[in-house]
This record gives sequence, structure tokens and C-alpha cells, in this order.
Amino acid sequence: MGLLDAIRHAFALLFSGDAALWHIVWVSLKTSILGLLFATPPAVLLGYLIAMHRFPGRRIAVWLAQAALSLPTVLIGLLLYLLLSRRGPMGGLEWLFSQPGIVLGQCIIGLPVLLAFTLAAVQALDPRYAETALAHGASRARVMFTVLHEARYGVMAAVISGFGRVISEVGCALMVGGNIEGQTRTITTAIALETSKGEFAQGIALGIVLVSIALLMNGALVLLQGEAHNPGARL
Amino acid sequence: MTTAPLLTVHTLRKAYGERLLFDVERLDIEAGGAYVLTGANGTGKSTLLRMLGGLERCDSCTVELDGRRLPLYPYPALLRRAVVYVHQHPIMFSTSVGHNIAYGLLARGVNGHDARPLVEEAMAWAGVAHLRHSDPVRLSGGEKQRVALARARLLKPRLLLLDEPTANLDGQAREQVIALIPTLVEQGRSVVMACHDRDLIGLPGVRRLKLRDGRLESR
Repeated sequence: MGLLDAIRHAFALLFSGDAALWHIVWVSLKTSILGLLFATPPAVLLGYLIAMHRFPGRRIAVWLAQAALSLPTVLIGLLLYLLLSRRGPMGGLEWLFSQPGIVLGQCIIGLPVLLAFTLAAVQALDPRYAETALAHGASRARVMFTVLHEARYGVMAAVISGFGRVISEVGCALMVGGNIEGQTRTITTAIALETSKGEFAQGIALGIVLVSIALLMNGALVLLQGEAHNPGARL
Repeated sequence: MTTAPLLTVHTLRKAYGERLLFDVERLDIEAGGAYVLTGANGTGKSTLLRMLGGLERCDSCTVELDGRRLPLYPYPALLRRAVVYVHQHPIMFSTSVGHNIAYGLLARGVNGHDARPLVEEAMAWAGVAHLRHSDPVRLSGGEKQRVALARARLLKPRLLLLDEPTANLDGQAREQVIALIPTLVEQGRSVVMACHDRDLIGLPGVRRLKLRDGRLESR
């Protein structure tokens, strides 16, 4: 099949309402969103705490958070495989080759992205926000919510970057999920499988969905950030 | 006539490495007293105010408030309720002017309904009622300073620490800010201002504290 034929076939698949294809998209979205939902609260809290507090070992914590960004997802997949396999310490959960296993993997993959971006966003914020909140009698929790509210565009960017990373990763989803049709097959694992079989149409169709999701997410961020607060240079 | 001090600062010390930056043996701040803290640039006027406002650590210091001896660090809750610090360039939260002014009240658990009349009164006092729904980011320097003063005053602090309240303001904006200071004192607040502004230094009843080589000289 030529490239043009494959593309034509891909669009036909997308608009025909192919149940198998849209189920793959659903599994991807569900596991990525759930993974991110579990990762966001601890990551944002940790990012805020590291950014706002001086403590022994802080620089090591920043270094580890940033280094974790470049952890290969296939390595996370391998570690999770060992933990979740029947003889592993978490084998009793029976999460290997299941959606909860993929969610756990997505959570671990998304966490450092969210943490590092939140840390950077809070660190870049004018310290007078926290000081003003404190000076006007805000509790520690209120200071945190005030600071995170002021750094919200950075935190939103963190969430969207985290989502981009988890929905587009293949290594961990393949190893922990097992690419089981109708159960743990995600967009990326399906693309890998279909390409290896020489079936490019479904791979291209899923690729179009993946790119569309990325465009939609980033478009939403641009809209939320708004022109007023981010005018940029006007030459 | 001298009145009983609202706050007495005892042996405030702060060093950077070997260099002793502050060595203040005693500072009495009277209830309803107004003070200007003067000194050359870089002598630490802002740092001293920040330490008194609990925004910066000191190496050692105790304060006496209502006869109770308290450490200055960690900053006690009793002081946090009595003292409010206002930055030289006040920061505005990204919400309306009205919500900025209500911030401290809401942070202290006052509900929005009860806060509204107090916020209205504070805005009227500072002459910013017409800015109620404005985006605070777009306010001028003088407007921001007046909103910050209203925000601080609303908490009825016993001591207000104002860091260069008229810095970078000129003309009417500066005069409007200067006009608010005596009304704070008339309402029984103690005010300590770090400043170079001759008109603030020359306000009636204002006492001058000069910071030189980390020590305070009263004038």
C-alpha cells in the first residue's frame, strides 16, 4: 500500500466510526487522564515545597527532579514489570497486563514532568506574592494556594506537558499493559504493532488522533493563558 | 508626654558571615507613634522592617508586645496579627482591586458578606473606590500603593511597617499617599516607614530613627 492510499484509508477508518480504533483511543485517554489525576496533587505539592523552602539536600532534590525528566519510559516499564509480575513485591495486586498497571506507569512517568515544571513556575514567581500573603495573615495552606493561583499558567503548562508525555509514551504501556486487544492496547502500542505488521492505515489514523489531541491540549493552554497576560514583544 | 511602648525590640542582631549588619540594642515603638527610618542606601532599612514584619530571619532578637516577651524568629502568631508589612512596590494578586483589599480579611476567616462593607470603607478611605473592578495589574504606582495601604489598614494592625511608601511616586500620586499616613496614626496605628522623602520626614509628630552601621540613632 502506498503512502497516499494508507492516508486515504486512515481517514476512512476515522470517519467510519471503527469501534476497535475508537476503543484504543478511549483506553489511551482514560489511562493517561487517570495517571495524571493521581500524579498531579503530589507532584504540584512537592514542586511547591521544593521551590519555596530552603532545606538541606534541596539542590539534590532539584537535581533528581530534573534528572527524572529524562528517565526512559521503557526503564520505568521494566521496573514496574518486575514489581507487578507474579513473583514481584506487588504481584498480589494482579495489575500486570491490566489498565491499572498502565495507569500506575503513566502516573510515575507524569510525576517528574509535573514536579519539575511546577517547581520552575513557582521559582520564577515574584517572592512578594508569598510575602504579601504571609504579611496579611494567610495560613501556610492559603499562602500555597495563593502562590499556585498566581503561578497557574505555569502549573497548567506542567499538566499539559505531563499529559503530552504520558499519552505519547510507548515503552511502559507496552511492557506493563502487554498491548492486549480490547483491554490494554493504547494509541502508541497499537501504532507500533500495526506498523510492524505492515498495516499502516490504522497507525496513521491513530497518529492523526494523537496529533489532534496534542493540538487541542496546547490550544486550550494558549486560550487559557490569554493575550492580556502574555502580550510578548510588540515591535 | 511619652506613652507606653506598643512594641519593644531587644538586642536585634543579624550577621552575614563575619560581618555584623544589625546590632540594635533597644527600640521602643509607642502605640500610635509615627517613625521614619532613615539612612543611606544599603544600610538595611528595608531588611530591618522585613525582620520586624517576620519576612526575614534575624540571628537573635526578642520583642515585647503587651508585656509578653516573644522571639522574633520564628515569627509568633501574636505578632502576625498585630503587625502588617507593606512592600515598596506592592504586589497585586491577579483578581479585582476589591478582592485584593479583602485578601487579609478572607485569609483570617471573615466571610465575604461581612467583609464587603469593610472593604467599601477601606476603598473610600484610600480613594480607590472607583477602581473596585479594575485589573490591579494595570494600576499606576500610586494607585497600587493606596490599594496596598487599604489592604493593610483593613486588618486593623497595631503596627504598620511601610517600606518607602512614596518611592518612585511624584506629583499627585505622592501627595495622595502622604495624606493617608497621618490618618493611620490618628486611628491609633503605630507606623514605621523606611524613607528618604522629606515631606514624610517632616510630617507633624513623626520621630526619626537613623540607621547607621547597623545601629539605630534616635533623633
